[in-house]
Amino acid sequence: MSDETGAAGQAGERFAIGISFGNSSSSIAFTGPEGKAEVIANEEGDRQIPSILSYVESEEFHGTQAKAQLVRNSKNTVGFFRDYLGKDFKSIDPTPSHQSAHPQQVDSTVAFSINDTESETPSTVTVCEITTRHLRRLEKSASDFLGKKVNAAVITVPTNFSDAQREALIAAAKNADIEVLQLIHEPVAALLAYDARPDAVIEDKLVVVADFGGIRSDVAVVASRGGMYTVLATVHDYELGGANLDQVVIDHFAKEFIKKHKVDPRGDARGLAKLKLECEATRKALSIGTNATLSIESLVSGIDYGSTINRTRYELLSGKIFAQFTGLIESAVKKAELDVLDIDEVILAGGTSHTPKLARLLESIFPEKTKILAPSTSPSAINPSELSARGAAYQASLIQEFETEDIEQSIHPVVTATPHLSKTIGVQLVSADESTIFRPLVNAETALPARRVAQYAVPKAGGDVLVRISEGEREIKSIAEVAIKGVKAGGKVEVTININSDLGVQITAREVGEKGGVRLAVESPSA
Amino acid sequence: PALPEGWSAEKDYKVLSALSSATQRNVEPVGPHFLAHARRKRHNRTFSEDDRI
Repeated sequence: MSDETGAAGQAGERFAIGISFGNSSSSIAFTGPEGKAEVIANEEGDRQIPSILSYVESEEFHGTQAKAQLVRNSKNTVGFFRDYLGKDFKSIDPTPSHQSAHPQQVDSTVAFSINDTESETPSTVTVCEITTRHLRRLEKSASDFLGKKVNAAVITVPTNFSDAQREALIAAAKNADIEVLQLIHEPVAALLAYDARPDAVIEDKLVVVADFGGIRSDVAVVASRGGMYTVLATVHDYELGGANLDQVVIDHFAKEFIKKHKVDPRGDARGLAKLKLECEATRKALSIGTNATLSIESLVSGIDYGSTINRTRYELLSGKIFAQFTGLIESAVKKAELDVLDIDEVILAGGTSHTPKLARLLESIFPEKTKILAPSTSPSAINPSELSARGAAYQASLIQEFETEDIEQSIHPVVTATPHLSKTIGVQLVSADESTIFRPLVNAETALPARRVAQYAVPKAGGDVLVRISEGEREIKSIAEVAIKGVKAGGKVEVTININSDLGVQITAREVGEKGGVRLAVESPSA
Repeated sequence: PALPEGWSAEKDYKVLSALSSATQRNVEPVGPHFLAHARRKRHNRTFSEDDRI
């Protein structure tokens, strides 16, 4: 790509950011000149910007300000619309929109009926148009912060986003004058955010990325091999998220309120909206402190309400929900036909991942060697809410110089569909007493072609050495044997292995520091 | 890793079998390593050819 120049038809300079677009909240991030991705706060100072739009007398509110309108102006407030995009009305689940503008069927798409102009009659706005307005506000916040017009973006989407949803999102972005360079998957963006750190070491590992959002949760098992990522399995739960935990807090306080005042605040639409808003804030406070307060003016029938809850009580009440989160992770590992012992890292992403108890529960499920990357368990963890936006920003910085055609060709299925090794290839060290140790050199699920080099210590005395290249982990099949003769005492043997996409293998084995060595080729199985 | 007694082969190596078949999967098109992979694949280059450029 870099060697194909000639910027014909390139309309001006591109300035790209990363956008994570969620049902509950969205984030914008950019990569600075030093290559460090940073999340941008909007003019209200929010880094997690609620994906909500609200209209009061033709004035548009966005983010936190729009969210506040859910109490007084719910009919003209639109939220939780990301998953409606590019979908048929019949296939959507409108549950999350009960307390805001309701989705309606218009032609083949989903729309909202809202008063967004001066006129008395409400206008019908499609979900695509809502998305465009939302993206326009995000773009404006980024442009204002960076002092430069943003005209391109890499946007994160869930792994199971359909082609129609992708197209609808690209079209919506285009209407907001944003060129979508690429849509990348949320879990991979999270992984990329970690691997893009300057001090990160790229190594082969199996990673579980758990994205716990506001109204849905997604878990992906990803094989990271030489810096390339392959998704092995994904699971989704559309009824599990931070909202379930909010409900626990809502019910707790509602019961307390009923005991005192004999009225259920959940029975009143405005009371419920107020409770929802405040309980979410209380739940978030419990992720940081061990105590949190709640105070609402005129909750129902003009009664003010104030109370506190401590973290222990909250964790006790939420036990069942926490088990659903951890169960989702376990089911994803199982779906990938793996065991928790195989997993090297668990990355917790999404707003709900701030919950300390979740990370602690995962520590008890996974073995000690598994790294749980969450703020409460790892000091080097990145803020879970910022992961996908940062990953997108990093990817944007990598590809913004490319021609559009180059990007399209590179992400084409012809390029991404790649054979992967089904079994680990390793080197067996055969010692004098015939006991062998198998050292993995190229791990299973590595995308082909691949090349690896490793060095192995030989017995202190040196002498002749047998290197056996094999595959498999539990059952081992030998591929080739190589003899390296007359190795010096304390020397090392270096093995280079080159696997082609047709499974043909070239192997070079030599003593470190010596020239030549033994070269051989293994034919591909089909040949 | 010592050479067992009586092990011998032409040019000091033996090929015993081919690899097991591969599984077809999709690589995620993100990150610098993937972009390098895509570049090699589109130009039909091998690793060593790519290193030289």
